[in-house]
This record gives sequence, structure tokens and C-alpha cells, in this order.
Amino acid sequence: MPMIPTYINPNYFSIKIDGEVEKPVKISLDSLMRDFKPVEITSVLQCGGNSRSAFHPTPGGIQWGPGAMGCAKWKGVRLKDVLAKAGLKKNASWIKFHGLEKPVYTKTDGFVRALELSKLHDKIIIAYEMNGEALPYLNGYPVRLILPGFYSDSWVKMLSNITVTSVKPKLHFMDHAYRVPDNDCECETPDNLAPKTKPIEEMNVNSLIGYPTSGTKVKQGTELIVRGVAFDGGHGIAKVEISTDGGSSWQEAVLDDGSQGPYAYRSFRYTLKPARTGTLTIMARATNTKGETQPFAQDVKWNRGGYKYNGIDEVNVEVVS
Amino acid sequence: MKKVTMLALTATMLVTSLNAEEKKVEVQKGIKMPYMAFPMKPGKGMYSTKGKCNMCHSWGYVLNQGPQSKAFWRKKVIKMIDVFQAPIRNEDIDEVVEYLYANYGNGEEG
Ligand code: HEC
Repeated sequence: MPMIPTYINPNYFSIKIDGEVEKPVKISLDSLMRDFKPVEITSVLQCGGNSRSAFHPTPGGIQWGPGAMGCAKWKGVRLKDVLAKAGLKKNASWIKFHGLEKPVYTKTDGFVRALELSKLHDKIIIAYEMNGEALPYLNGYPVRLILPGFYSDSWVKMLSNITVTSVKPKLHFMDHAYRVPDNDCECETPDNLAPKTKPIEEMNVNSLIGYPTSGTKVKQGTELIVRGVAFDGGHGIAKVEISTDGGSSWQEAVLDDGSQGPYAYRSFRYTLKPARTGTLTIMARATNTKGETQPFAQDVKWNRGGYKYNGIDEVNVEVVS
Repeated sequence: MKKVTMLALTATMLVTSLNAEEKKVEVQKGIKMPYMAFPMKPGKGMYSTKGKCNMCHSWGYVLNQGPQSKAFWRKKVIKMIDVFQAPIRNEDIDEVVEYLYANYGNGEEG
């Protein structure tokens, strides 16, 4: 949708850092890879509108199911280190990010994002590798901002400009898009929209069953291993539970060792033996270390952007004899 | 089809992944943007709508909303004008809304 350059020469690419800094700098891709300490982090990348099609009436945005997410190992350099190269002035308070993409129509606001300086932390990196290779071109080649734990609207692709400001910048894609109601339930109704909104930012706790998929035929009395992934905004997954009785009772699934870190997919598995033939509904529910858990799908409340859906996932399999 | 895809990154549009060796050669060619045709249903107002709604993004983005009410389509067209500055004149809004509703409507006015 935006205008994306179809050719980027890595030998000439650089990130420009200016604004409230001691000395504006341009850092080439080569310098980024050579002059800074490389760091790696495994993190989920998820659209704020993942599973948006579950909301009714239709909220604005792409109507996708739960596939708008992934998890990868990112390698790059700390944003903090890059900013230090330019040196932040005392009055620095916001960091603006802009990539090489441009809106198709010049009057449309560009996709510019900003982060409050107080939210800067060591895990935020500028990545030049994904899973051990250069970033795939349309995933933001040659460098992309990685904000583990935050939805992907913050993960600016083809990052080319960083501008430090002393006041909160006015930006369409910060002030009007990617926001949820600023109330306890983060909810509203089409007839009664919340007067105040806040940025979507940190991902809520979520889990999805990857196997079996709905419609799969399984054999009665034979072991069935349910598998899936769980994640949150970086607090870490404490447990994943499975229910086969519509959510009345729950049994704990086995989690992987968590060695990929708190921002990564935590995979789970649960073995069951379907006792009866017919349709079997399997549900998965994750809880994070803060005790936050997922609501039943029918209890998820609406918001106009269709953001942050995390209803309990369920699959229906056919048990045959 | 939803479940399995989640394990891979949503990089379905990926065109070329480059390792250091290939980099120079591949990048100098540049990439070709993936293109998918989304035919529009023929009908009154199609050409006018085509010119207005395919300017900034694909028709697929519009189809993706599924069948919707007339009020939904009207709001969407107005959003494109107000929020993204779509150059659509006031007097042309009705024609576009009518086309959208006649061909991609859900039978409900409101
Ligand atoms: C001036 C450019 C422009 C024109 C012209 C335009 N759009 Fe859009 N449209 C956008 C942008 C930009 C977005 C996505 C913004 C985002 O990612 O949040 C969008 C998103 C959408 C979406 C999905 C997101 C949502 O808000 O639901 C729909 C549906 C849509 N446009 C329909 C239309 C229709 C119908 C027309 C013709 C009347 C049209 N657009 C013309 C710029 C435009």
C-alpha cells in the first residue's frame, strides 16, 4: 500500500539521527554492524489487529484471523547505543522513527511513529538480521526497529530516520491510529465510543492451538497431542491450561523450557485420549506471571480498531471409532 | 487454514531473502512488488470507483471487509477523505457508496 523503494543499496544505506542531539549523525549499515555491540533477541511480532475478524460489528482495518503473528530471532544493535552516538540533549523526551516507505498520495500522513524516551530499554534494538539472515526485503530490509513486547505497529521497517524531540510530536499514526479505549475494559460500543483512548503498546496474554486444527479426524481412545504457542508482552507465561468440557475444568499443559526468553513463543503440549466419538472441543488458556489470563471468546469486548483480541482459542475435532 | 500459518512469520510477501554472499548481486536487481489482481464486479459506478478507491491501495483491501451495510460503506468512504485526504469530491460520494453497496452490500441500509 505505501510506496516502498524497490531497490535499496546496502552500501549506501544509512540511518540519520537528528533533532535534540549533541551532534546529528548518519550511521551506515556497515558501521551499524561493525561499530556497535551486536545483541540478539527472540521475540514475537504480532499485529495489534491480529484476529480482528472476531469482532462484530466490523472494526476498521484488515479483517484477518489469528495468523497475523510470528516469532523470530532478531539480531542488531541497541537503540540506546545508537542514540548515545549522537548524544541526547537534556531536553530530549520523545524519539521519532521513520522508514523509507512513503504514502502513495502526498497529502496522506506518512507512517511515522514515536516512543517516549522514558520507555526506552535495553531490549529495543535496530535489527539487521532475522533468523540468521538479512531481513527479508518486505519485512523491513535492511534494518527494522524491534520493540519486544509491543505490537508490530511500533516496529518501523526500513528504518532511515530517528529524530529526537523535546515535546510529544503530533502524528496521525500515533494520535489517531493504533489506540484502544482508555478505560479498564479497553472497550466501548459503536454507539458509545470512549472519549479517551491510549496507544495499544504492550501485548496482552494470548495463546493459540496449532495442532490439531478444526475438522481434524482423530481416533477414539488413541493419544492426541495438542500443541500450540503462548506469549504476552514480556512478563512471561506462567501456565497454559486445556479444557475439553467447554471451559468448566482445566488441566495444565506442559510448557517448553522457556530458554528462548520471555518475549518468545512459549510452546505447549498436552496429551489426551478422546473417550467418546463425535465432536470434541479443545480450548487453550494462557496465564502470565502477573496473573493475567485470557477471556472466553464470547466475553471479549469490542473496540473500534479491533485491537488486542485474546479470546480463548478453541478447535473442534471429529473423534471417530 | 488459520492455525498452521501462525508459526511462520507473516512474511508471505517475501520476495527474496539475502545472505551476505548474494547481497550485492540480488539487491542491484531490486525487487519486483508482488502483484495480485482483484477484479471489480461490473456495474454502475465501477469506473468512477476504480479511479477513486484503487489509487492508494489495492481493491483487495476493500474486498477484505466482506459484505457490509450502506452506512458502513458511506462511513468508510468519508474516512478515506477525512483521514487520508482522498481526493474525492463531495458530489461523487453517493456514486461510490451506491456502487459499493450494490455490489458488496449485505442488504442492510444502516
Ligand atoms: C488518499 C489515499 C486513499 C484513497 C484514495 C483511498 N484510501 Fe482507503 N486507505 C488509505 C490508507 C492510508 C489506509 C490504511 C491506513 C492504515 O494502515 O491504518 C486505507 C485503508 C482502507 C481500508 C481498511 C482500513 C479501514 O479503515 O477499514 C478500507 C476498507 C479502505 N481503505 C477503503 C477505501 C475505499 C472504499 C476507497 C474509495 C472510496 C479508498 N479506500 C480510497 C488511503 C486511501
